[in-house]
Amino acid sequence: MSETTASTTVTEKVAAPEKGYIGLSVPRKEDKRLVQGQGVFFDDVRRHGMGYVHFVRSPYAHAKIVSIDVTAALALEGVYGTLTGDEVAIQTDPFFEMSVAPGNQIRDYALAVGKVRFQGEPVAAVCAATRELASDAAELVAVEYEPLDVLVDGQEALKDDVVLHDEAGTNVVWSGVFDWGDVDTALAEADHVVKIKKLHFHRFSSTPLECSGALVEYERGTGQWTLHCNHQMPGVGAIWMAPALRTGIDKLRFVTHDIGGGFGNKICLHPYYVTLCLLARKLGRPVQWTEWRTDQHLANAHGNERTFLDVEVAVKADGTMTGFKVKAVDDCGAFPRYEPLGCIIWAQVTPGCYDWRNIQVDFTQVVTNKSPVSPNRGYSRMQHLWLTERIIDIVAAELGFDPVELRKRNYVKAEQMPYETPNGCVYDSGDYARCLDIALDLVGYDSIEAKRAEAAARGKLLGVGIGSTLDSGTNNFGQSQLLNPELQFSGNNEAATVKLDIFGEVVVTLGTVPQGQGHETTSAQLVASLIGCSPDQVHVRPGHDTWFNSHAGFSGTYASQFAVTGLMAVRGAALLLRDEMVSLAAFVLGAPEEAIELSDGFARIKDGPPEAALPFMALGAIVNANNAFLPPDFNPTLNHRFVYRPYFGVVDTEKKMGKLTLTYATQIHAAVIEVDRETGVVEVVDYAAVDDCGTRIHPQIVEGQVHGATAHALGAAIHEDFVYDEDGTLLTANFYDYHVPHTLDMPPLKTGFIESPSPTNELGTKGMGEGGGAGIHAVCAAVQDALRPAGAPIVYDSCNPYWRIWEMLQDPEATRANVEVVSR
Amino acid sequence: MKVEGVKALTAPRDVVWAVVNDPAQMAKLMPGVESFEIADDRHWQAKVKIPLGLGGLRMTIAFEKLEERPPEFASLSAKGNGVGALLNMTTAFTLSETGETTSMKWEADVRIAGPVGAMGQRVLQPIVNQQVGNVLAALETQVVAAAQASS
Repeated sequence: MSETTASTTVTEKVAAPEKGYIGLSVPRKEDKRLVQGQGVFFDDVRRHGMGYVHFVRSPYAHAKIVSIDVTAALALEGVYGTLTGDEVAIQTDPFFEMSVAPGNQIRDYALAVGKVRFQGEPVAAVCAATRELASDAAELVAVEYEPLDVLVDGQEALKDDVVLHDEAGTNVVWSGVFDWGDVDTALAEADHVVKIKKLHFHRFSSTPLECSGALVEYERGTGQWTLHCNHQMPGVGAIWMAPALRTGIDKLRFVTHDIGGGFGNKICLHPYYVTLCLLARKLGRPVQWTEWRTDQHLANAHGNERTFLDVEVAVKADGTMTGFKVKAVDDCGAFPRYEPLGCIIWAQVTPGCYDWRNIQVDFTQVVTNKSPVSPNRGYSRMQHLWLTERIIDIVAAELGFDPVELRKRNYVKAEQMPYETPNGCVYDSGDYARCLDIALDLVGYDSIEAKRAEAAARGKLLGVGIGSTLDSGTNNFGQSQLLNPELQFSGNNEAATVKLDIFGEVVVTLGTVPQGQGHETTSAQLVASLIGCSPDQVHVRPGHDTWFNSHAGFSGTYASQFAVTGLMAVRGAALLLRDEMVSLAAFVLGAPEEAIELSDGFARIKDGPPEAALPFMALGAIVNANNAFLPPDFNPTLNHRFVYRPYFGVVDTEKKMGKLTLTYATQIHAAVIEVDRETGVVEVVDYAAVDDCGTRIHPQIVEGQVHGATAHALGAAIHEDFVYDEDGTLLTANFYDYHVPHTLDMPPLKTGFIESPSPTNELGTKGMGEGGGAGIHAVCAAVQDALRPAGAPIVYDSCNPYWRIWEMLQDPEATRANVEVVSR
Repeated sequence: MKVEGVKALTAPRDVVWAVVNDPAQMAKLMPGVESFEIADDRHWQAKVKIPLGLGGLRMTIAFEKLEERPPEFASLSAKGNGVGALLNMTTAFTLSETGETTSMKWEADVRIAGPVGAMGQRVLQPIVNQQVGNVLAALETQVVAAAQASS
């Protein structure tokens, strides 16, 4: 069948969203197979003669590799072969680096070459007949190391006493100053300047239920690799992999099936996948790797750790805040694998939810002997939004303002929408104060003092805290040019294909690589609404396959964009199909196109006789199997591919300004906690999450995303912390030490919503699901509020397990010394 | 992790000294020793399977005698390397004679790094305590036997 291809740009003028099934929580198409255990994950795929791969990993955080001897492993019966860093260095090129110098001097290979730079870094791979045998054989690989001094602190990294990458000559990957407005004048004219010496956003990560992995096949005759995998952004994965493998991008066929969660962890899998590709080629057999859970913690991908230094906030006497300056040191671990994009992504939300016009951020990213980072739910924005929220509550505490009133005074107002930030981003719509009121109502804020007194009578310290964040969605990759003007990335795109098959089945093919977000369901809702049938009549192919030819360069599910890019691509293709179905029906029924309506799976003449109706099956059959009677100049295909391209314009690399993203969903969370005075243990006793993601296609799916993001937030705020000792040993490499919230850890979660349709697209949607940053701060603020009667310590870290709270209870002055107020 | 203690041994100090300073005899005391090689009188190497609670951990451990003042004091270091784990230990003991028995005051600073070390952090202390108990019990048996043989 032939296809048509189209693309579009979005203008500011948009029509009202289509309705139909939009806004209904129809049964999810994915659920039946998933709850019945019939989902197909990459690990379910088997091939004849396949081998299983186990990675030999470094126990050292930093060491020279003196020698690797695989002889004993190869001698073991059932071992198919091995791969070492030396082979990788010969057969591949280093991965493409996005930074300018010095970061672009770093040489990053699939396996360690010459040196290891973090504990758990793969130094060799063993392939054997079973997974267990591969693991046993890996123990026989003798690696001789020469230990080097270890660097685990981002600020220490700036000194370059220990340098990880000799070729770069420094640990700095990227540095630059972002200066918008006039922060020095704002500080000079302020009635109060609040200074905060140091705040720390800790290192943690999402932990997908399904670990990473792939089954890789190599076809020697064509040089074609097929990867049955769970990469969540294959288009970008191929951009990294193909040049490294010295092959064309079409030689890498990515196939995904069901994926058990991504959260960004499954974006930077290219080192592992390149190793698998080399092994498949070397051994002439399919090879399969399923990551072990401990390895996932140890060496897959963590979230960015960021330290904020020398914060200065300009505050007027009435509480109006006019801006701030800060130095940020971002620790990206041993290699900048998706970096330095984290050095700019935060700028999508530069002033947070606030009308701050003068902001200066001196940003530096460094490498340390820890696991490399990758995007992680709320990537880079979460850290910065946490800073803006900390600023609010610290200013409120130090100057005696009510945190609720201070927020409302400084929030961007609904009537200011669309709001242009000092760095040229446009907040499309929203009403933050209204969301806050809903959240406070849900936790009974009016009676919070009575609850505080009741808790105090039980010996508990009760506190309430707020987190206000924005989930910026639909990236403009042009922001990468603010880091490196030479980069040839900008804009964004997504593809979808919609066709009507011979038996009347509507088939949708996505480029979005879903990982549990219900794309099959919401796409079916939209297509059914547009072409007039039931969602049950729409088959959305699960997963992704490069050979479907239904993807674009930036395809994938990341950065909160499916509800815009994914669905707008589906919409574009469905509208092309709808128009053609109308034309075909008009021709067959001998009626003008304006008289044709599509509904209930039929094309009919409006108000015509009942028999003047064609079922979709008839339309599909005519085009595909019975088309001799159609005139030569009328050639419908009923098969349409559409590429959606949001419009951003180009960024200003001199001023570091531009539309860095398209939509801004809002999350306002409120947490009520109780602290045990003796132990510092925190219990979340009440919690509300209010979300505004514009038009909600499927409210239950939105609610599920809110629940998941909140659970991630509570885990990060109280438990989840990747802690390294001075040797670079990860002390929390398993679920025993890295506690992810269980059902019983979750508070009774109350949710609320408003809908502020986005004017940026015809559906009025905004990407959502990455609003967990709100919860992290809500807990921090609640802890600070709870500890007010106990010396009023300042919460300075994003993770507050019982021992840190206990320390603050014992010595509140230690944290208070972190803050200074200069009043005029 | 620092561990220390005092053990009363029913044997004269010279006998105890002879046992604990003989690498071959010490090898018999250590849990899970699979092979043992003596390089010289100050260096020796053992391949051991340490019975961690999470499963056996195979390591090659290089010992080096750091200091000795016969018959009362000795210290040594042990550096081990295994799959996913690194061991660094310095240990010392002081022997004092009290009539027919010897009092052995000992201490050790044990560091296990690497992924396995990380996994075992919380369970390591009781395992180390148990293994130390086993070593000391075996030592007592050996020095008593040595004392009887020499009397």
